[in-house]
Amino acid sequence: MMPDYVDISVHAFPEGADTPKRLNLVAKSLGFTAIGLIAHSPYWSQFSDSNTISGIEIVAHSVRDLRKKIAFFSDTAGVICVHGGDEQINRAACSDDRVDLLMHPERGKRSGLNQVTAKIAQKNGVALGLSFGYFWKKGQVARSRVLAFQHQNVILCRKFGVPIVITSDAYSHFDLRAPRQLKALARLLPLEDEEATAALSSAPQNVIKRSTKKEEQRV
Amino acid sequence: MKPLRPTLRDSFRYVAFTLSSEQPVRTRDLQTGISDAAKSLFGDVGVSKLGIKVVMFDGTKGLVRCRYQHASELQATFASIGKIENNRVRVTVVGTSGTIKAAIEKYLQIDEKIRRIISSCVTVPVSGKAVRMRGKEIDIIPEEKEIVDRADVQFIGITIDDNERLI
Repeated sequence: MMPDYVDISVHAFPEGADTPKRLNLVAKSLGFTAIGLIAHSPYWSQFSDSNTISGIEIVAHSVRDLRKKIAFFSDTAGVICVHGGDEQINRAACSDDRVDLLMHPERGKRSGLNQVTAKIAQKNGVALGLSFGYFWKKGQVARSRVLAFQHQNVILCRKFGVPIVITSDAYSHFDLRAPRQLKALARLLPLEDEEATAALSSAPQNVIKRSTKKEEQRV
Repeated sequence: MKPLRPTLRDSFRYVAFTLSSEQPVRTRDLQTGISDAAKSLFGDVGVSKLGIKVVMFDGTKGLVRCRYQHASELQATFASIGKIENNRVRVTVVGTSGTIKAAIEKYLQIDEKIRRIISSCVTVPVSGKAVRMRGKEIDIIPEEKEIVDRADVQFIGITIDDNERLI
């Protein structure tokens, strides 16, 4: 039986170029059961109906700012993702159990994760978001650098049992890819077939379940 | 020259795909796009092992041949193609088969939704001009270019359900 594939980080209009309905239509035709509409924090206020959005990707410029934003959004948003890149922000995100997903920690000059951060992430149940959007968005040099960092992060996550979630990080329907194509890309990293399937099905579903549970506890 | 015996020949897989693009894509540009993407991912040696060749392409769907063991690498190559000649595209694999005939019969007999050119001013969800319609999908050229620039596309994509006035 085919697993239920979920692309958990897709950016819809007005942040991205396509409306949620268009993205859903294309994602269903590609083989996804559901998509998670995530808004970056600067665009959160532009979504008039926050019920259509599954979560937030917090963009912070300092650790203090990140903590403030997590405290604010953990009461209002569903899935809490953190826009990674800076090593201090990555570590602060992994240390907070209100965070569900650390997106692309490798966007800085290094891979963004080490054994300490990976252990903390595992302890707090924070998953690692592997964004494959750079494959079709970035140039060759940036792509090989990010690929090397992701390779390292996958090895760390596997060693310390941090869940991995694969996303396309799409801003339009042109950025969406079919699950089996994302799995083919995942095989270029040292991800086995079963690991890639889990990263596209059970892992994102667990992230959504976790955030739903937290919401119920709040109510 | 005497042809190779069938047992000594390479065996191939035929990968059927569909292509969504902003502007029409020519077969030659597609060939270059696939070859460039494969080179960028696997290098010259890798590409020589894949044995990629575009067998047919009609503008929206087609067939690419690759060596038997490398169908997965071809899928990864398709996934990594984001632009062809500065034109946003998405290449989606429909299926893989061992013969051209089977691939065409199984995967390329899809009734392609015809793209209609329309021209209608819209204000929901953004003010602009609806220019294309394909099935339920509608493409809008917005007056403000900020969003399309951010997403690196030309159109805002909506569906009929987003703007029922366009039916």
